[in-house]
Amino acid sequence: MSRRNYLLRKFLFSLLTIFVVMVINFMLFRVLPGDPVRSVIGRNVRISAEMQASLRAQFGLEKPVFPDQFFATLQQWAGGNLGVSWSLRQPVADILMSKLGNTLLLIGLGQILAIFFGVLLGLFAGWKRKTALDAGALTFSLVAWATPTFWLGIILLAAGSSWLGLPTGGIVSPENVGKPLYTVLPDLARHLVLPTLTMTILYLGEYMLIMRSSILEVLSEDYILTAKAKGMSHWQVLWKHALKNAMLPIVTIVALNLGFTVSGAIYIETVFSYDGLGKLFQTALTKQDYPLLQGAFLLLAVSVIVANMLADVLYTFLDPRVKAN
Amino acid sequence: MKKIGLILLAFVLLLSACGEPDASPQQSQPAALRVGWLGFPDTLNPAYAFLSESYTMFDLVYSTLMTEQLDGSYAGLLAESWSESEDGLVWTFTLRPNIKWHNGEPLTAEQVVWNINAFIQNSDGWVTNYGYIIGFVEARVLDERTLQIELEYPISNMEFRVSFLYIVYPKDFEGFTTPEDLQNFTNFNPIGTGPFKINTLDKDQRVIILDANPDYFDGRAKLGQLVYRTFDNSDALIQALRVGDIDFAAEVPTSAFEAVKTFEGVTAVALPGRSLSELILNSVPEDHDPVPTRNPAITDPAVRLAIATAINKQDLVDVVLQGQGIPGVSIIPPTLGGGFWFNRNLQDVRFDLAEANRILDEAGYVRGVDGVREKDGIRLDFRLQFPSDSSNYPRAADMIANWLKEIGIKATPSAVDPDSLVVAVNPNADYDLVIWGWGSDPDPDFMLSVMTSEQYVEGGWSDSGYSNPVYDELFAQQQRTLDDAARQKIVWEMQEMVFNDRPYIVLWYDDVLQAYRSDRFAGFIQYPTGIDAFQSLMNVEPVK
Repeated sequence: MSRRNYLLRKFLFSLLTIFVVMVINFMLFRVLPGDPVRSVIGRNVRISAEMQASLRAQFGLEKPVFPDQFFATLQQWAGGNLGVSWSLRQPVADILMSKLGNTLLLIGLGQILAIFFGVLLGLFAGWKRKTALDAGALTFSLVAWATPTFWLGIILLAAGSSWLGLPTGGIVSPENVGKPLYTVLPDLARHLVLPTLTMTILYLGEYMLIMRSSILEVLSEDYILTAKAKGMSHWQVLWKHALKNAMLPIVTIVALNLGFTVSGAIYIETVFSYDGLGKLFQTALTKQDYPLLQGAFLLLAVSVIVANMLADVLYTFLDPRVKAN
Repeated sequence: MKKIGLILLAFVLLLSACGEPDASPQQSQPAALRVGWLGFPDTLNPAYAFLSESYTMFDLVYSTLMTEQLDGSYAGLLAESWSESEDGLVWTFTLRPNIKWHNGEPLTAEQVVWNINAFIQNSDGWVTNYGYIIGFVEARVLDERTLQIELEYPISNMEFRVSFLYIVYPKDFEGFTTPEDLQNFTNFNPIGTGPFKINTLDKDQRVIILDANPDYFDGRAKLGQLVYRTFDNSDALIQALRVGDIDFAAEVPTSAFEAVKTFEGVTAVALPGRSLSELILNSVPEDHDPVPTRNPAITDPAVRLAIATAINKQDLVDVVLQGQGIPGVSIIPPTLGGGFWFNRNLQDVRFDLAEANRILDEAGYVRGVDGVREKDGIRLDFRLQFPSDSSNYPRAADMIANWLKEIGIKATPSAVDPDSLVVAVNPNADYDLVIWGWGSDPDPDFMLSVMTSEQYVEGGWSDSGYSNPVYDELFAQQQRTLDDAARQKIVWEMQEMVFNDRPYIVLWYDDVLQAYRSDRFAGFIQYPTGIDAFQSLMNVEPVK
């Protein structure tokens, strides 16, 4: 099968998956117990029973879930409209877009640093196997991987704000709010240090462990022995021959992670009061804000599926065996 | 290689940022009080606001005709003077002279009248005002500074009601034709007549900066600015106060309060508030549809009395609230109206396990082999549920279950998602014992309404299902009794009925816990809503 057909098939299949996910989500949120109107207004003593009934009608909740609500929602989606959030009273698409950038910034920086240092550490640990360096890196990685996100975040927050004078939350200081981010880079960077560091430490361990086992496997291959026999330096062997092959599992895991880190950022964003998608998902869930929930989960599903597709595509370039099949 | 260069660059940038000198906002703007809180207003449109943070902003940005004072009485705010007709059907308000909107225009009686009539005529749109304008017929202008509100029947708590009607700038609100349009208007750039005006509001970064209104009719606030920042978790909020990232923490969790007291340069404040927590005993009438699902023994007055006798409320306060509150007795917190509405004569049942055992013995409940009492085949085995979003209730539930075990009652605590619990309690009536709480209005009317029969409908506020025609009649009566002393008598009587019938066993009244940097600011005043009531913030000034 040609690469184009392969990719086209993957793409169509992805679209179908997204549609199925959306339909399942539609059902899932509506079987949750509780009353969205009550969730949105909370225990607000100012809203009488009559007013709640009128809100229920406004949200379209007085009609049966199937077929009325279902087809009304489908029709909305078909028009490219995700609806208006009940609790935030803004178009869902606008809300998602405004938070997506912030989350991507955090995830992007954290992942790049985690990949860079994780791969580097794994490479050296595998190369210097059974040395103090290996044992140290291995212990650190196992601990980092096993650390609860929330706990690590709080510890770093307390330490960083007490000893380094770093900010305790947010993306920029209040006086810089509303200015374009590129005009307040130093302030932005100060606010990013702790959340990025948290994310880096959390993912670094995983990458290091995978890289280490992968490089160990590659180093035992015959062609590495050949390269050494040809008189290449250790560094050359590692860099030119071992690294590329050892990177394959990392690509898979990074692609998978990229999809899931969007949801994984929830904890980090909550600790650092970071205005991103994670916090938004939490609000949507606790408020039973169906339009926002559907939009948020659509975004999650799309990011996981896109990341997977990306991994598939990358594989066709990195690994000739995939193309042959 | 280029990529690695970029990564390194980013990393260096991050590292260099650590050494960046702290650009303190206080240097550029003198006397800015930086507030940290855990929420953010859902809207600044008083037509349709649900979150308490919105009301905090309304108090700062808008004004009302009248406002509550420290002693629980009401004073004029926009109104200079007011009077009611002999029959209580017409109220006349005269506005203070020279009140200006934030844009410099003068406030007129006509604009206030437009507001009141909009609330009345478009009550589907002005949802959050609905409860305050029931019984209003219309408002009319008498002259430039005088207006009248005509009522359908005398309203006993009229002053309280108008203290919640925020007067908005009509031009911003005139154009909406449907309730949805009005409600989707978030009004994040509001024009009001209040002591502060919005300078910056960023709903994404969740930062609000307010400037003192130099033309405020009651004099300019001593602070130059208020800066509100939202934190997503209370640990970070407390840490921010400790390191001086903020000057005022609007919410301090009970568990952190003792620690905050020890922070250098910080003063922690615990003040009596208006909230209460209670044990709800399923009191839904047998003929209710759907039929209540419960252990029928919970309706037995002897069992109720025994449960009340077996709960050590002082212990709950000491352990669960770590002393930051007082034991509860009535559904009306002691702070309402400066204590005027709270029935001081109520004698709470004394905690006495032996006495509780005796009550159950006498009522014929006999201990089985497992220690659980039983009568006519009905075991005293109850569900004890509480909303899962509370940090206080799990502990309270455990303590209560242990005491009940001592008297042969089995209570099984379980945390339930609050949304499911709402439905289980009302309208499904499927529960035995539930721990929950309320934040009361300053007027007793709302808390009293929670016990009326008509509130036990889907969307109503009754959770116990208590139904007592005499109580319902008294409720209607107190709403129309204009004489405060006469109304007080009725309100006290109602509290006594609830206390004796025990649809609720009120557990405690918790304190409002807040803290501020006393090395930087002084002048806070303790209001039942907190030291950040707008009258208090008007008075706050930097320490020299």
